Amino acid sequence: MNPYPLTPAERLSQITRRHFLSRCTMGLGGIALASMDKRGAAAAAGPLANPLSPKPPMFAPRAKNIIYLFMCGGPSQLELFDYKPRLVDLNGQPIPESYIAGKRFAFMDTSHGTKLLGTRRKFAQYGQSGAWVSELFPYTAKIVDDITIVNSCAATLFNHAPAKLFMNTGSGQFGRPAMGSWINYGLGSECQDLPGFVVLQSGPRGPRGGAVNWGSGFLPTTYQGVPFRGGAEPILDLATPTGITAERQRQTIDAIRDLNVQHAVETGDDEINTRISAYEMASRMQTSAPELTDLTHESEATLKLYGVERETPSFGRNCLLARRLVERGVRFVQLYHTSWDSHGGPGENLQGDFEKTCREVDQAQAALIQDLKARGLLKDTLVVWGGEFGRTPMGESRDTTGRNHHVDAFTMWFAGGGVKAGAVLGKTDELGFNPIEDRFHVHDIHATMLHLLGMDHTKLTFRFQGRDFRLTDVHGEVLTKLLA
Amino acid sequence: MIAVKKYFWAGWLVTSTLAAAPVDYLRDVKPILTRHCVLCHGAEDPEAGFRADTAQSLREGGDSGISPVALTPGQESVLIQVVRGEHEEIRRMPFKKPPLDDAQIAILQAWVAAGAPAPAAEEPGKYIHWAFVPPGRVAPPAVKRADWPRNSIDHFILARLEQEQITPSPEANPSALLRRVSLDLTGLPPTGAEIDAFRQDRSPGAYERAVERLLASPHFGERWARPWLDAARYADSNGYSIDAPRQIWKYRDWVVAALNRDLPFDQFVIEQLAGDMLPTPTIDQKVATGFNRNTQLNGEGGIDTEQFRVESVLDRTNTFGTAFLGLTVGCAQCHDHKFDPIKQREYYQLSAFFNNSVDDGHGKATPGGLLEFPDERPTAESRERDLAEMRAELTRYLDGRGMAVMKWVQALAAEERAKLKPELRETIDVTWDQKTFAQKRAAYGAYKSDDPEFRSRDKELAQLERGEAKPPSTLVMAELPAPRDSFLFINGDFTRHGDKVAPATPAILPPLKAEKPNRLDLARWVVDPANPLTARVAINRIWQQYFGRGLVETENDFGSQGSLPTHPELLDWLATELIAQHWSMKALHRMIVLSATYRQSSLARPDLELSDPTNKLLARQSRLRLDAEIVRDVALTASGLLAGKLGGPPVFPPQPDGVMTLGQIRREWRASTGEDRYRRGLYTHLWRATPHPAFAVFDAPDGYSACTRRLRSNTPLQALTLLNDQQFVEFAAALAHRVQKEAPGELPAQIDFAFRLCLSREPQPTERQRLVELFQQQFSAAKGDATARREEAWLTVARVFLNLDETITRE
Repeated sequence: MNPYPLTPAERLSQITRRHFLSRCTMGLGGIALASMDKRGAAAAAGPLANPLSPKPPMFAPRAKNIIYLFMCGGPSQLELFDYKPRLVDLNGQPIPESYIAGKRFAFMDTSHGTKLLGTRRKFAQYGQSGAWVSELFPYTAKIVDDITIVNSCAATLFNHAPAKLFMNTGSGQFGRPAMGSWINYGLGSECQDLPGFVVLQSGPRGPRGGAVNWGSGFLPTTYQGVPFRGGAEPILDLATPTGITAERQRQTIDAIRDLNVQHAVETGDDEINTRISAYEMASRMQTSAPELTDLTHESEATLKLYGVERETPSFGRNCLLARRLVERGVRFVQLYHTSWDSHGGPGENLQGDFEKTCREVDQAQAALIQDLKARGLLKDTLVVWGGEFGRTPMGESRDTTGRNHHVDAFTMWFAGGGVKAGAVLGKTDELGFNPIEDRFHVHDIHATMLHLLGMDHTKLTFRFQGRDFRLTDVHGEVLTKLLA
Repeated sequence: MIAVKKYFWAGWLVTSTLAAAPVDYLRDVKPILTRHCVLCHGAEDPEAGFRADTAQSLREGGDSGISPVALTPGQESVLIQVVRGEHEEIRRMPFKKPPLDDAQIAILQAWVAAGAPAPAAEEPGKYIHWAFVPPGRVAPPAVKRADWPRNSIDHFILARLEQEQITPSPEANPSALLRRVSLDLTGLPPTGAEIDAFRQDRSPGAYERAVERLLASPHFGERWARPWLDAARYADSNGYSIDAPRQIWKYRDWVVAALNRDLPFDQFVIEQLAGDMLPTPTIDQKVATGFNRNTQLNGEGGIDTEQFRVESVLDRTNTFGTAFLGLTVGCAQCHDHKFDPIKQREYYQLSAFFNNSVDDGHGKATPGGLLEFPDERPTAESRERDLAEMRAELTRYLDGRGMAVMKWVQALAAEERAKLKPELRETIDVTWDQKTFAQKRAAYGAYKSDDPEFRSRDKELAQLERGEAKPPSTLVMAELPAPRDSFLFINGDFTRHGDKVAPATPAILPPLKAEKPNRLDLARWVVDPANPLTARVAINRIWQQYFGRGLVETENDFGSQGSLPTHPELLDWLATELIAQHWSMKALHRMIVLSATYRQSSLARPDLELSDPTNKLLARQSRLRLDAEIVRDVALTASGLLAGKLGGPPVFPPQPDGVMTLGQIRREWRASTGEDRYRRGLYTHLWRATPHPAFAVFDAPDGYSACTRRLRSNTPLQALTLLNDQQFVEFAAALAHRVQKEAPGELPAQIDFAFRLCLSREPQPTERQRLVELFQQQFSAAKGDATARREEAWLTVARVFLNLDETITRE
């Protein structure tokens, strides 16, 4: 008794085609027929004719997806990766003037310290690569041969919100698209049941700046990051309203579609076809998103590897969700974890507070790499770890020790998708103040990420207010040493 | 297959030349040559001895003796071959630069084909970009189909269509037309009574009368305020990471009122830019200066406040350029503008006009920067909100210092302890986390009573707690008694001062004749009829609301990188008409909506698919998805819930839980009750960091920078909002209720009634039938008695109505 044996898209395409055919036979000649062919083809593309359909990269990619582990607040590289024995020797000495002349720092008007602070953490070398890792990251120490640690990263802005924006968009100004938006704009999404850019958050509070960090700026909003929340409804308004069954919802959507189809035929407006597709995807998301966050079928061994429980929100649970997202083809997954802002005051010292934050991420980030590798996903997935900046070699004179924001040198690590496994790149001077080799600025990081995805960062542009904008602005060099 | 491809190519060429008026050398060709060729083929040591800086030198050719623009039968000219990269010997030009785009090549081709005409006595390599030449006024052109035009606009549109042998579309049917003009002028669909009145009015002038009614409606100002507020980057919070709430809604209400009373556009601009500097300014004129106070304020700790004060000044400069001049002056912040004649120095001269105001970068109260209204009492609800907000702020402040307080407590000597007030003494040892807000406040007060920041917050909160409500206020501009020094910033870096600069306007525009000009002089200069940009930019922005695209598509860039006007003479005619009508915006609105061009049907036409697929020539109207706020307003109107109240503090309609946790500071969103739950979208509190999701999802801007055109995206998240959002379900329930109450009777008649409420038209029989089927399906599946089942079935039908593409579209 089904009056519509075809799928909605097929039916729509047929009706639209037939309609235009009938119009076009009214004496419009060959050119009009060509037009109708084009039109038919567009309609036949149906649900795929949307801005998120996959697009070919510019050249052969090394990675398909990115998982970006954003460590909010700026983790101290000097307590984690960039081992500086000389700094320990000089602990308590004033920093030579030559280092800080002409530099600006956050909080420079208050308690910005000028005395060097040696780390109190024990470091050791691990793996084939002999990478230095501190005692605070015991799990991460075990995966050093799967990752490349870069100690010479550099940023530009030194206040949290603008710096985070810079790391995400290549600019400290509001209104620029985040890298996840750029990537979906460039490549589309392999997954038609979930957004192509998903944001997961953990820690005591949201990242500074909030939603602008995953905003699409001047790009269409289709490309903006969709924050998944903890709990059963990961997307706003995902759940069918209370009291309405799934069947009733389906019948509602079917009626909307039928009336929209009829109106599409009458008006000839393709935009209605896009809307029909959007409702179909929304309907699929209602099923696929809760399925994604339901960890019932993850084995005990997997949960143990990540150190998580099925329901409790945590960075670890987000890492597991990130794996599940890339499994489903989601292009860009970004995890934010707060807070690494170790100034030394209450709740933000380099003693207990820092240890706690390290514990919150260490096991799970290592597990993510191991799990991706075991499932064969690591070769196609680039994993990026880092904050918006690092910390100064000088200590801040507060009740407990801490360090100020530092943009000149800090550590990030990279794994999978076309990146060397088991390498340490970039050297900093003996105090860890400036890079002396392979300076890897935010723009270069962006250029390299796009390169790994098969895109030339100078060619991925969008015209806005009379200018062709890029993620890398007018900068950026691919760090070839990072490539496998 | 090849044949089809050829057709496309041919069709495409037709289209691209169609996009602009017939090619004019100075306006269209010379800019391309100047930008792409003259660097190498200029007066000094031209490559291959060939110059491209005048049409004459181009005709002459270079060392080879061949004229690049000479026409040989059956062959493209050398110029075209070369820019296409098809010449056998010469490399593709511009050499080692990106190729010209197809539209540029089409312009060159059309010009060459016309014999490369150009005015004699041409100055080499120099051209004045069209937008910097004051608008001329040509008489509306004659047309063959003399019965079609209804006013001058139509002459320009039809003349162009006739030139391309395209016929305009017929007038939209009366229902569609009434819904269109109602949505366009007031942002609300017509009521049932208005539809009936319009249909029954058979006498001539029915449409004109409807237009007059709509122009006089107070909702006109509400609808047209929104695009202006977008450009003014209006929001109800401070932005940056802290995003504290702010009061500046009096400015929003000023815009609504000014549009409603048709304040002439020149006055509208002057009061916003410099109302405070007018002789004996009224309160209203001061409120208007909120335009320049819609900058962000950074409340983060540890910032360099001068940096953010400078950011505000530069933001004002950039917004000034975008909003009034349609120029991307911001490009000159770090270097001379690459494409437009604006030097970096001129940018800082312009910004110097905005560098003397009293506000700082941190949002601390500055004398003169805040206008209070002591006679106005805030509502109980807004007092509650203020209280909650202030308590939360103080809690955050105290929590940052809790550890220090507890240290002090531990070190207290017995005699000091004895001196504490008894109620404080009893709780002083409770751990910080366990302390109530009152205990934290008392403990901190005892520990550091001389902390000025604490004292001012504490005092303000105490006043509010005593019931001394804070009067409403609004942010305004005020000048410092002595101007600040202004400097050029090297590479845009405010720490690197270059030369000192004085306020001045860009040299490419008419001079500002004043000694030591100030912000008021700048405001008067910008609306001087001699300014070639202001009226054009203004009218173009109005036009784009009605047709989905401006006559200049790049509504925020009238510079050389912007697109050329599709109808340059019409743009100029309208710009001069705006001035001739004493800058009356309503006169322009009236003229546009009364034109035959505006009244056309928006149905797609197969013939136009090929000849003008993006509808630049306006042989039909366009279907436009409604703006975010209007999506809400339409649902509110259809359901009968809309509260018609105008103005006042922002309101908080329900939104899904968890939105406010996405910002750095987790703020509370307490849903408004009573009529404030059902106000127009314009009045919803706009947090920059966490905008209301039902608006953000429909492309409402976030107030970070001037937005002069909204995107119209079409996404699954919009579907989820309309399907599942609590408020839309609430609207659907009200619609279901209303239909049953106001149209008792047979189901088909009820469906017809709902069609009128939502779509202002009758259904087609098939549409009605589909909904009857749906109703019956739902009714038989539902449980309970007949009334309950009818309720449930109607709720589904109502949800379908609010989700239709047509409901959220202006046709």
